Amino acid sequence: MSGRRHRLWLALRFRDLPLSALDATPAPDEPTVVAERQQVVFCNQAAGAAGVVRGMDLTTARLLSGCRTLSRDLAREERALCRLREQLYRFTPHIDIHRSRESGLVLEISTCLRLFGGAGPLCEGVLSLLASANHELRHGLAHTAAGAWLLSFARYPVTGDETRALFIERLNHLPVQVLYDHPQAVETLVQTGFTTLGDVARQIRGASLGSLTRRLGKGFAATIADIYGIDRDFSAAALFPQPVTTYIPEETFRESLQFDDPVHVIDHLLPAVESLLQRLSDFLRLRQLECQHLRWRFSDIQHRRETVDIKTDASQSGWELFYDLTRIRFDNRPLPFEVDCLELICLDSLPRGDHRRDLDLTGERRPRSTDRELAVTLAKLKARVGNDAVYKVGYRDSLLPEWSHAIIGLAEKTVQRLPDAHRHAPRPAWLFTPARPIEYRHQRLYWQGYLTLTAGPERLAGHWWEESVARDYYLARRQDNLTLWIYRDLHRKQWYVQGVFS
Amino acid sequence: MAISRDLHSPLEQILRRSDIWRGRSRDAGTRAAVATGHNQLDAGLLHGGWPRGGLIEVCQNDFQGEWLLFTPALRSLEPGLIVLLNPPAEPFSQALIQAGVDLDRLVVVDAPAKAQFLACFTELAHTGDCGAVLGWQPPDNLSYTEMRKCLLAAAGGTGLYTLFRPCSAQRQNSPAPLRLFTRVIPAGLEITVFKQKGLLQRSEPRPLVLPLPKPWRGSPPYHALHGERPAHGESSPPSPIDFRESS
Repeated sequence: MSGRRHRLWLALRFRDLPLSALDATPAPDEPTVVAERQQVVFCNQAAGAAGVVRGMDLTTARLLSGCRTLSRDLAREERALCRLREQLYRFTPHIDIHRSRESGLVLEISTCLRLFGGAGPLCEGVLSLLASANHELRHGLAHTAAGAWLLSFARYPVTGDETRALFIERLNHLPVQVLYDHPQAVETLVQTGFTTLGDVARQIRGASLGSLTRRLGKGFAATIADIYGIDRDFSAAALFPQPVTTYIPEETFRESLQFDDPVHVIDHLLPAVESLLQRLSDFLRLRQLECQHLRWRFSDIQHRRETVDIKTDASQSGWELFYDLTRIRFDNRPLPFEVDCLELICLDSLPRGDHRRDLDLTGERRPRSTDRELAVTLAKLKARVGNDAVYKVGYRDSLLPEWSHAIIGLAEKTVQRLPDAHRHAPRPAWLFTPARPIEYRHQRLYWQGYLTLTAGPERLAGHWWEESVARDYYLARRQDNLTLWIYRDLHRKQWYVQGVFS
Repeated sequence: MAISRDLHSPLEQILRRSDIWRGRSRDAGTRAAVATGHNQLDAGLLHGGWPRGGLIEVCQNDFQGEWLLFTPALRSLEPGLIVLLNPPAEPFSQALIQAGVDLDRLVVVDAPAKAQFLACFTELAHTGDCGAVLGWQPPDNLSYTEMRKCLLAAAGGTGLYTLFRPCSAQRQNSPAPLRLFTRVIPAGLEITVFKQKGLLQRSEPRPLVLPLPKPWRGSPPYHALHGERPAHGESSPPSPIDFRESS
């Protein structure tokens, strides 16, 4: 007894996707073509009636039909397919995008037949759902994904009684030209008298797939194996079916609250903020997700809009930190207008991390994780003073002091090894970037007091690849006993204070 | 005969609080402290070092030996973040590496507005893993009430919380339990502890002087060449450099 469920694939081919993805709606009698690299990839009925065909040179197409030309946008096609895939997720989780000369979707439906009452009703549901999208849609049903795609070029109704043998028989009737992804192989086949896929199948039965591989290449043989669902090394049915991919739709959180009366005080907004954040937290926890980036969007009755972004270094699924950060951000700025609607959008959600915790078998009360606490504090500081105002300093290998001093983000690791040249040379604790110019008064150096040189010089010269630098650094004592690190720019002939020893 | 006292009376409960000073003893000496790294200074401080969970107020003009004063203590405060709040200039990474400060634990926060400064200071003081907060008062002077906010926030933590304020703040009342005045003099860094909560000062506070690091003192190239040091009070020899700009 075989407990294995036979797979069943439904292919949906969107013939006019290059045009429909562009959101262009030409009049039915207006010849329109979509072109890529000066070749026609789609022509509408009016252009076709004038003699334009797919693959035709664009100039010829224009001469023939005087058509309107649109450029193909693959990114928009991809987005359109993703939208369609999301719609079809209600029928099956196994949905693949088929990208070829024409694009479409391939659905594995064997696991969903009982739910929808068989292949017939399921296909009917799919087609009626897509009918509203006004696509030029063709469909095909087969025991393999590649076979279903090819059968979408023939028009067989779906009854639900189809068997593997019937699918193979239908495939056998298809002309070899449907294998348009292998033009050379098709040409060879036609020259040697093969007209249908059935001829190719008979060849395989007679002389195995190996002979086809030798004559027409591995790629072509693999395609044939995929179409018929046979093993690539043996002519028998594949022992282990290819695993099907499971589509996981991208979920975004977007909820809004409409106020009965416009809100003009931030305090009145806070209950709505809390409520939306709690909903977000539930959404994230149920899906084992976390997020780092939120967007608040205010709008008023005149459709004015303003957004406030909230970001954290560490991803969160709880609402409390986001609430605190939101309060801090709102405290720092008044409401731009009387708010009628508040919307919360969750951006950049990601799977929840592996937060390992030790088992607490003692039941004793323990302090909260200080790392977490620190991350929360730093996030609050950033929300209050801005991301750029909270930073670390580090060393960067460079000759010039101001270049060697790196301002880095909190998450970055600092370099703390100094080369010998800097390890023992006197360096001030405070650095001025840029350096402050020194005046020249009564033949003496002056910067908030008269300066006297006490040590030096230490010459730093080089950096010729950007701007040649030559500086003589000195230690100088100001009249109030402060020790300064000053230098003389040998090119500009000017003195500067670079830092203070303190 | 000892007077029996009701240990649960409200007055007794208040008197037993660690932040109540009764003006007669070193009651507050049990507070945890961090060694300053300067023996002279440790000896002069009530707790034998910088008090943890207290507010230290340092009155000084800009750049008067703050790193010299606090670097040894910061090095010993491991683990824990060191936050420089509103520093007067960029802390130079090369000097800090030389001084042995772990740059991965050092965070700089720029908060020039007073409200932001106070919010950041209190936020940081409430955070358990913040080993030290060194804050420089923003241009707007902090009032007594605002200083008290900082003190209360610091009292809830266990780190080292320091506020640097200008010299003029020395004349103002402040709730900070430890107040110092520092300035650089030719002999070194002069430190005057003019307020210590829990220690009665019966006379004018006597300043102590920490020697400056040797490289700061420097020696003019002329003397360096001859391996001599200029005698005390001797004026520096003429510099070999002509300061006049030859354009």
